[in-house]
Amino acid sequence: MRHRQIILLIIINFCINKSFSQTRFTDVTTASGIKHVFKVYEGMFGGGACVIDFNRDGFEDVYITGGMNDDMLYKNNGNGTFTNVFEQSGMAVTKNFVTQGVTGADVNRDGFVDLFVTTITRRDKQEIIPRAINLFFLNNGNGTFRDATKEYGLDQLFSFSTSASFGDFNADGWPDLYVGNYFNEYKGKLSVINDNTVVEANQIAKGNLLLNEKGKKFRDVYSNYGLEHRGFGFGGIFTDFDNDGDQDLFVNHDFGYKRTPDMLLENNYPRKKFTDVAKEKGIDLKINSMGTAVGDYNNDGLMDYYMTNIKFNYFMVNQGVGKPFVNKAPELGMQFFAISWGANFADFDNDGDVDLFVANGDLNPNCVAMANFYFENMGGKFEDHARAIGLADYGISRGSVVFDYDNDGDLDLLVVNQEPVIADYPVPSVTRLFRNDSTRGNWIKIILKGVDAESHGIGSKIEVEAGGRKMIREIDGGASSIFSQSSVMAHFGLGNAAKIDKITINWTGGNKQTISNGSINQLMTITEIPEKKSNHLFLYLVIGLVVLIIAVIVLKKRI
Amino acid sequence: MIHKKSWTKLLLVSLIIIGVTSSCKQENKKLPEDYELATAWADMTNYITKTTPANTPTFASRCFGYIGLTMYESVVNGYPEYQSVATQLNGLGSLPLPEKGVAYNWQLALNAGQAEMLRNIYIQTSDDNKKRIDSLEASFVNVLKTTTPDEAVVNRSILYGKKIAQLIFEWSKTDGGHRGYLTNFDKKLMFPNKPGGWKPALYAQSFSHSPLHPHWGNNRTFIAIDSAIDAPEFIPFDTLAGSAYYNQFKQVYEKKNSLTQAEKEVAIWWSDDPDVTFTPPGHSYYFATIAIRETKPGLIKCAETYARVGMSVSDAYVNCWKWKFQFFSERANTYVTEHMDQQWESFWPDPPFPAFPSGHAIQAAASAVVLTNLFGENFTFTDSAHAGRADDEIRNTAFKIRHFNSFWQAAEETANSRFYGGIHIPQDNEKGLEKGKIIANNINGLHWKK
Repeated sequence: MRHRQIILLIIINFCINKSFSQTRFTDVTTASGIKHVFKVYEGMFGGGACVIDFNRDGFEDVYITGGMNDDMLYKNNGNGTFTNVFEQSGMAVTKNFVTQGVTGADVNRDGFVDLFVTTITRRDKQEIIPRAINLFFLNNGNGTFRDATKEYGLDQLFSFSTSASFGDFNADGWPDLYVGNYFNEYKGKLSVINDNTVVEANQIAKGNLLLNEKGKKFRDVYSNYGLEHRGFGFGGIFTDFDNDGDQDLFVNHDFGYKRTPDMLLENNYPRKKFTDVAKEKGIDLKINSMGTAVGDYNNDGLMDYYMTNIKFNYFMVNQGVGKPFVNKAPELGMQFFAISWGANFADFDNDGDVDLFVANGDLNPNCVAMANFYFENMGGKFEDHARAIGLADYGISRGSVVFDYDNDGDLDLLVVNQEPVIADYPVPSVTRLFRNDSTRGNWIKIILKGVDAESHGIGSKIEVEAGGRKMIREIDGGASSIFSQSSVMAHFGLGNAAKIDKITINWTGGNKQTISNGSINQLMTITEIPEKKSNHLFLYLVIGLVVLIIAVIVLKKRI
Repeated sequence: MIHKKSWTKLLLVSLIIIGVTSSCKQENKKLPEDYELATAWADMTNYITKTTPANTPTFASRCFGYIGLTMYESVVNGYPEYQSVATQLNGLGSLPLPEKGVAYNWQLALNAGQAEMLRNIYIQTSDDNKKRIDSLEASFVNVLKTTTPDEAVVNRSILYGKKIAQLIFEWSKTDGGHRGYLTNFDKKLMFPNKPGGWKPALYAQSFSHSPLHPHWGNNRTFIAIDSAIDAPEFIPFDTLAGSAYYNQFKQVYEKKNSLTQAEKEVAIWWSDDPDVTFTPPGHSYYFATIAIRETKPGLIKCAETYARVGMSVSDAYVNCWKWKFQFFSERANTYVTEHMDQQWESFWPDPPFPAFPSGHAIQAAASAVVLTNLFGENFTFTDSAHAGRADDEIRNTAFKIRHFNSFWQAAEETANSRFYGGIHIPQDNEKGLEKGKIIANNINGLHWKK
């Protein structure tokens, strides 16, 4: 009997140690100096964070929205701590607004990432109909930003916006925007508000498809691209679901079972048109669709999509071009009850397949505490190890971002939490930074430098072949975790592979670039080698000249 | 080259078209029967109810009350055997009598009163809808003028109908529900934290996490005694399997798995979602229209019918909401997932307010008892309210028109539909039906006739 007990203890000990040795997260919020909580406006909705190396010092910083609280810009000090430099950042105007989400891209291609902050209403005055413009800040390149909302033509969109994402749907290298709106746009002035305008205010909304006009201005091309839908929009993500090299758009809608379901808008590039193919692809989800995490969980070269929802989330696995998606959440071990918001696919344990973090939190003001999920990829199936590895925070979570803030080669997590409306919430609910203390697994991180393509590689796809695996990452421009944007640096766990056989970059726009024999455990910068378009031009000139000569000869003979 | 035969055909067709068009024109000029006039306004009322954003069953029921009462009071003095009920209501006081010894056209008075009340009480509706109201009013005036050559009679009748509407509207402003659409959800309301307490819906009809109109129960009822009705008895909260409370939810839980296609049809038919339909009290107002169209009574009975149905559904909702917030009881989606099966979900999404008693049941019972009193026990009718609506794709269920042999049968089906939908337990429906009857009897008990 005693013998059996000892064996049992050894087994338990082994199991615990095994899981601990794989991955372990440490809550370093206090030690890092991060002190943030999102405060809701009438229970709604955010917040989110955007990973951005705004001062280009090689340590990624993070911007976090505050809702009814002030936003924060945390500068990474490079020693494991952060300093809030928001006050001197030039973005203090956000204090006049109830902010929700944030996303970043180098809009004017000056090498510095600019920021787009979504809002739902103003904080500095009571609006009868809550609406406000979103805010766009250009990075000055000296550690500060300036408000360029008006300059970029964004100062007349009075919306109730949730998540925004950058993408390059026309593949011209200038990052464009999709903005999700929850309630309809309202342009009216206070003097014309009457009972009719008030009751019409909370109707479903169109999104904004904002085309970047060579870094100078944004223009809403929603209808020009064939978009007409209205819904309770939670934003969308640009992603190439059909591997045809252009960025399609998946749109999340709340209350899809009553109003507009989720949409999969196939990009008909080079035609200026999106077509909704959600129904035929079986992905017109009629749920409370909050956000979508993107990742190729089985390394089959096809992007899979995890949609967060109320009660049970959906994991729509890509079956290949022309085939409908299949929800595999139940069969892959992910069917757990929660109210989920943010979600991130990443290879947290550096073993060569992506795991999934899910941020959960009740609907304020209800405030039932619920833990976050950490689904570890166990060779094609998932197990929730959140409690075992220190990620089962019970705060009211919303957006979450993944980045390697301490540059140690594994991915850390920042989860934005809301302040509970009720007084007796059982645990502290504050934004948390979890440091990944993994000890195993090789890795590589890749920064893309687009020349013709978007300057930080947004919309491009990287394939890494190592140790017999082929892994892909899409560089997403935000909203793949609700209200938030993770690092644009691509991270690959390599397991025991000692070298990289091949790296292929599929730049947005169709340019393909291959690199053989990469080293492991390093940060690698890959600069785009543009396609030699001049060769084509020369060829066309030669053909043109030949045709001309023949024509002249023929004409002369006739004369 | 067209053949001679073709010419003949063409001529024939043209003549038919001209004939049909001219007969249509004549039709338009035809004087409305009493029931046609009254039901045209009831149709307009339901159209405005359905197409005004941010509408709710609570606010809609109140409007039906005032619109129905206006219809009655604008014509009652033309019918010597009837009398005004104004002084019997909760603080309205007497309304002006028509001038003695001069003629009135009561159809014109009704027409003016309905238009005036709709414009005032639905001031939040769209400009398009306001134009529809004006245009319906004008079209009847144009027709009715032809039989009333004396312009003084026309003007006097219109003024009288308007006056009645304006006075009733003024009275409505003090009932607690005036412009209630501006305060659908009290975002600052703190919920009572109690076992079995209502929780914001997870499978929800509304984006609001706050319950609808938490203070509606304090509103003035049309009849004073309606606010003094005893609260229904409530089975006490219990988590013990086999307890009476547990068994209530168990029935809902089990029903989901045994729903027949016919029951699914019932569940969606009566949903009467305020975002896309005329709301549950609108369904009752529509039943009044069915009864009137079937029996074609005189103007006064038409008006009495709408007044009784309108006021009964309005008082039903005030009481219902008083009790909903007194008991603040949970829905099956909360209890079943906590105590029976976490994966369970109701067939139909939860509305944003506490469960006990059922609003559908209480108003359906109230209007059914009123309509039975007016049109008899065995009244056979067809309910086509949602005919032609596209199938419910999510639930794979069609909108099938309903046939009933009595108003009470329809009321019971209304109540059952919420059980099939998984959003009400049996006691919500039973107590709703029970209390609805009492409210209707109070309305029927007013002295309508001299």
